[in-house]
Amino acid sequence: MKVVGARLPRYDGVGHVTGRTTYVDDVRMPGMLHAAALRSPHHHARITGLDVSAAEAMTGVHAVITHADVPLLVYGHLSGAGIPGDEPLLAKDHVRYRGQPVALVAADTVEAARAACAAIEVGYEELPALFDVRLAFEDDAPVVNDTFGNWYNQYEGNLDVRQIRKGDTEAAFDAADLVVSGVYRTQSQEQAPLETQVCVAVPEPDGRLTVHTCTQAMYFSLGVVCSHLQMPMSEIKMVGGTVGGGFGGKVDTASDSLTALAAQKSGRPVKWRWTREEEMLASGNRGPWHMEIIDAVSRDGWILGRKMLTIHDAGAYGRFSVYGLTKHSFHHTGAYSIPNLHFDGYVVFTNRIPTTAMRGYGVTGLSTAIELHAERVARELGMDPYEFRLKNANRVNDTSPNRIAYEDPSTVEVLQSLASATGAELSDELRTMTRDQRTGDMLPEHLTAQVGSGGGH
Amino acid sequence: MAIHRGKGLATVEYPTGMNQNGDPSQAWIKVKPDGRVDVFSGTADIGNGSKTIQSQIVAETIGVPYDWVTYDNSNTDSSPMCTGTFASRATFVAGNAVLKAARQVRERILAVASRELEIDPADLEVADGAVSVRGTPAKSMGVDEVAGAATFVHGELLTGDGAHLNPGAAIVDPETGEVDRPPHAAISYAACSAAVEVDDETGDVHVLELTHVYDIGRAMNPTLVEGQIEGGAVMGLGFGVLENCYPYYPSAEHRGGDMSTYHVPTMAELPEIRNVLMENPSSGGPYGAKGIGEMANNAQPAAIANAIHDAVGVWVTEFPITPERVLAALDAKREGRGEPRREGRVVAFDEEMSINRFSSTITWGPDVAPPMCALRPAGGPSPASQDPFTGRLNQ
Repeated sequence: MKVVGARLPRYDGVGHVTGRTTYVDDVRMPGMLHAAALRSPHHHARITGLDVSAAEAMTGVHAVITHADVPLLVYGHLSGAGIPGDEPLLAKDHVRYRGQPVALVAADTVEAARAACAAIEVGYEELPALFDVRLAFEDDAPVVNDTFGNWYNQYEGNLDVRQIRKGDTEAAFDAADLVVSGVYRTQSQEQAPLETQVCVAVPEPDGRLTVHTCTQAMYFSLGVVCSHLQMPMSEIKMVGGTVGGGFGGKVDTASDSLTALAAQKSGRPVKWRWTREEEMLASGNRGPWHMEIIDAVSRDGWILGRKMLTIHDAGAYGRFSVYGLTKHSFHHTGAYSIPNLHFDGYVVFTNRIPTTAMRGYGVTGLSTAIELHAERVARELGMDPYEFRLKNANRVNDTSPNRIAYEDPSTVEVLQSLASATGAELSDELRTMTRDQRTGDMLPEHLTAQVGSGGGH
Repeated sequence: MAIHRGKGLATVEYPTGMNQNGDPSQAWIKVKPDGRVDVFSGTADIGNGSKTIQSQIVAETIGVPYDWVTYDNSNTDSSPMCTGTFASRATFVAGNAVLKAARQVRERILAVASRELEIDPADLEVADGAVSVRGTPAKSMGVDEVAGAATFVHGELLTGDGAHLNPGAAIVDPETGEVDRPPHAAISYAACSAAVEVDDETGDVHVLELTHVYDIGRAMNPTLVEGQIEGGAVMGLGFGVLENCYPYYPSAEHRGGDMSTYHVPTMAELPEIRNVLMENPSSGGPYGAKGIGEMANNAQPAAIANAIHDAVGVWVTEFPITPERVLAALDAKREGRGEPRREGRVVAFDEEMSINRFSSTITWGPDVAPPMCALRPAGGPSPASQDPFTGRLNQ
């Protein structure tokens, strides 16, 4: 093999570093209008009136889009996975977060579009906002989400919690020499792509729409636009594939459907480029995670069992949060084999911007919590951090939290290699350990039941 | 007051492909009359290098030079379905789709060359843009000649299509989370060591060095892999010590709306980054590859936190690890509140356990739920004079 494995230059690298790559914002069409959004100034409010007539009458304004213009207002991005939709493309009766779009204006210039936004009359009756996930469960908490209440309640089996149960956790805790607990909280992080969300939608003479998109997922976005506009996939052509940074924040691009609607209504090409403020204050970012871990540990350094509670602050609407939590639950043992597990996880809604995917979705905060906890347990046992991790590292045919055998876990090798690269000393026993299926000293009684028989990854 | 140095460690695993799978990718390829190869895929390149990686897979699989391959992911009319570039799936899932399409193209090249050379296709091989007879390298013809013959002599189009789908894994028991088949395409593994300096007067954490080891099955293009690792390391550094959309979480006040009020790492914070790539080929990935993109920012935050503990003996468990949080932890330690509660076999590091409150089935932990985040006093309205969403002046 010569090509695979070679340090070839990037296919598109020269264009990127010389400024010659065509990104969506570089697309300019004759007669192109510019869009601006009117967004909620309130964290939580009932909409008591919406009057766009003054805006529509302004010079240079060609289309004002409100909820009434959207053929399918609520479309569930995960409806294919059985998760109902909950988020309107434009606010109708309520605004649930500050920055939620209420209307979109397409005008000759961005300035004219912004001026028209300011002329839209919206009546708001402010409602108490909920920001603290702990309070979401209180009886008198403000209700954030019309569809689900204050936490997602439609997991398989009609559960309102994502569960993992494996082995006999109570017996593991009874048998433990140490029971070590800790709480870990990770924050909301902005994807911060260089390119803010941007879209150019063009009505074609044959009645089709061309949508120049910055999406990370052209076919997913095609499905979203087709759903909101109630058009078949043959009628919309997504043009994209070259993205100025996404990091997860451009999977569920909010700009495509609204720009397409504005182009359709105005009959003109429309560009909608978000400001940096909109990108940072109104687009989905990485959500906060609250994680509590309690490990049952033996004096000689085995993790016998784990109980864990996770509360994910999803913001006002579900988007991909249930997916993120489920992925989180599947990986809550990290790189270790823990045979007895009891995991409960909740997706909780608050009146902040809906969170969405970001690099490491569902797992970044989790890895952070697990590895801090591992270090604490190791120190409490007086064990070397490498030794504790290598001892508990997952091995071939150990089973994951959902009982799938690990096919090729490299935890042992990457730790050995890291020790070597950083000059950390390992004992002969740890240096010669392999990832092979457990035998002998590495197969203590408490792990015998959980070693699988292949068939996993 | 002094600067303290410490080292910390973290090891992580991360799935390739969407959780629970079921995320298809498709591709098709055509060959021009001069043998040049056009790939059509729906995979967006978000900077991850998927155009490059998929072009490499096609060139390698067909047996033509890399610069013979053009790659078109520009629109949904000409490119077939791809679920998208996320979930660390572009190399593995979409890469398998172009791999399968390229294998078909190679078969067609061999079939036409077989007729031209009057040799059984099983005795032919394709490499460097030429079809040759195994063991008789002198007898050969260029892929350009094969493509020309296909077009102008045989009236055929050299083409191929491919699709990849790891079937969806269902949760068959919602009580236990048991699934009916593997819920990922593969799992990648990594470990990270952080070296830090902590200033016990200012609380400032300076990350000096991040050393990483990644096993991603096969490094399709080591330069791009290192790009993912280094970009991810900086993002993990930001997550670890700098970035927070809600600095006073759960309060929604004082959000940073631009790069002067939301601090991502700059060159000033860039540590020395060292990388080791290991290759244990996966069973299902193209040429043994697994995903790398997302996991690249997962190990640094804990490695940095553990290094801070090594340096100054405090655990900071709320992120990012700001100077304020470091100083608060140092104060707590000085005041004798730095140790966990140890009672019998119980070691309780953080007393804010709320498991009893939310889960009737978990019975361990004191039944208290004090504030999840210490709420700081509200600092007044945002300094912006104009509302960014309505264009109106703040009252």
